[in-house]
Amino acid sequence: MFLPWDYGVRNLARRPVRTVLTFLALFIVVLLILVVVGFIRGLEHSLVVSGDPEVALIYSVSSEENIESSSISSNTPALITASLGTTRKRYGIVHASPELVLGTRVQVGEQSSGLGLVRGVTKTVPLVRRSVHIVAGEWPNAGEVLIGRLVAPKLGVSESSLSIGQSIEFEGRSWRISGHFVAQGSAFESEIWCNLDDFQTATKRQDISLVALRLAANASVAELQLFCKQRTDLELRAMGETAYYESLQKHYGPVRMLAWFVVVLVSSSGVFAGMNMMYGAVAGRVREIATLQAIGYRRRAILLSLVQEGLMLASAASVFACTVGLWLVNGVAIRFTMGAFALNVDGTAILIASGVGVLIGSFGAIPPATKALRADVAMSLKAI
Amino acid sequence: MRISMMMVTFGIVFGAMGCSPSSDLASKDATKPNAKYALVSEPASAMAVGEARKTAKTDEAITLVGLIGGSSAPFVDGMAAFTIVDAEVPYCAADEACPTPWDYCCQTDAVKDNIATVQIVDESGKPVLSDARKLLNVKELSTVTVQGTVKRDKQGNLTVLATKLFVSERKK
Repeated sequence: MFLPWDYGVRNLARRPVRTVLTFLALFIVVLLILVVVGFIRGLEHSLVVSGDPEVALIYSVSSEENIESSSISSNTPALITASLGTTRKRYGIVHASPELVLGTRVQVGEQSSGLGLVRGVTKTVPLVRRSVHIVAGEWPNAGEVLIGRLVAPKLGVSESSLSIGQSIEFEGRSWRISGHFVAQGSAFESEIWCNLDDFQTATKRQDISLVALRLAANASVAELQLFCKQRTDLELRAMGETAYYESLQKHYGPVRMLAWFVVVLVSSSGVFAGMNMMYGAVAGRVREIATLQAIGYRRRAILLSLVQEGLMLASAASVFACTVGLWLVNGVAIRFTMGAFALNVDGTAILIASGVGVLIGSFGAIPPATKALRADVAMSLKAI
Repeated sequence: MRISMMMVTFGIVFGAMGCSPSSDLASKDATKPNAKYALVSEPASAMAVGEARKTAKTDEAITLVGLIGGSSAPFVDGMAAFTIVDAEVPYCAADEACPTPWDYCCQTDAVKDNIATVQIVDESGKPVLSDARKLLNVKELSTVTVQGTVKRDKQGNLTVLATKLFVSERKK
């Protein structure tokens, strides 16, 4: 015979202070796990969505995976499109985007300055970077810039200081903000975009960092790679954009490992905290448990009721923590190396955090309950 | 019963020992290049890459030897093509703990004049769309001798459209 479902529910209300404290402990553990997993998922998402399988990048062979240190001739796009038929072309427009990328100090009004990532682009860039959409303002004219959604948190300044019409300074020039863009959560969102010619003038450079090409229907990155291998004099390297961001993910491998380690640590501490709370909860109910045994309830039924209590509390804490996480944590921008990304509380993050919460609630109740059930019934009935 | 158990045990042990030479043989086969593109023996009088860059002319038949390398990623993904470097150009020694010795990072100037691109082609001269590492069982710093046709460009770059290849054993 099992204890009634209501018995467990009512028991939670009988000791409101203890119930609230246990709930809070579980809530904090689940929320912490949600934040850490959201960090990992946000970083992964930022790199995954940044790569377009139809886009290939061509940059300097000596810069390895660091495009900011790449320097190639500005006639490379013309050379490649003339030599190979791998680039998409519509209505006479070649889908090739020459870009100059530079990490530089950006001054925002009188407030502060920080390291920002600036990308000089041409008007062909939307043909290649298809995830980018201008959400306010317009395409930058000479002396103007477009600001990504995550530039403000990246520079550590307020959103209002980067509103349209405001000015920022970098490379010894003042630039008016002409608009804002989003890029589906990709790495571009933490960048400042301006006209390539303007940027080359400001930086006194004539080279570019890379060419991003949108591949023609039947073309492959292999053809571009072969061209780069054959033209060793150009010292170029070709890579699919997806493969490029996958290689960046490998660089961030230790960070992800550390984050998962934090998840394990937080989960472990949560398990111990949960068990401690349950020991306290069960210790105060020795007489009650003994009475239940004396009136005929089997140990298994009493154990199940105690697990039910822990599980209900943990489930409620998990639901509450996930709601708060989605409301307050999801989308929060994090500064990271040269860019920024948004915490991503997605299905996986919710599943992991809730799973750990439910495990703490259910398994945390078993050891103390088992201990109480093993005690002698006659002695327990006399316990104070 | 005890005797029969011992016989079974000996049978298993000796059976396993008996199997080991054939498994070694299988692993040796696995390291050989695809038979369609493999040379049975190492060709004599193969030309070094550095010399070929000076003398080889377009459409000439050539036998070229070199080490796969010249950049951190010498292979073309999804196509049987790679770059080779003249064996005379030194690369980082093992005790220098360089993770990518095949990029010749300390010899970039020397590599410029001692590098060639090898593109494996089929009988009709079409590029083989298969990863060279899998097709030919080669890896970075493998010493390869290739037979094929020379292709030069105005900039002096050397490409060999190879139909056959021999992979030499690494000297220890």
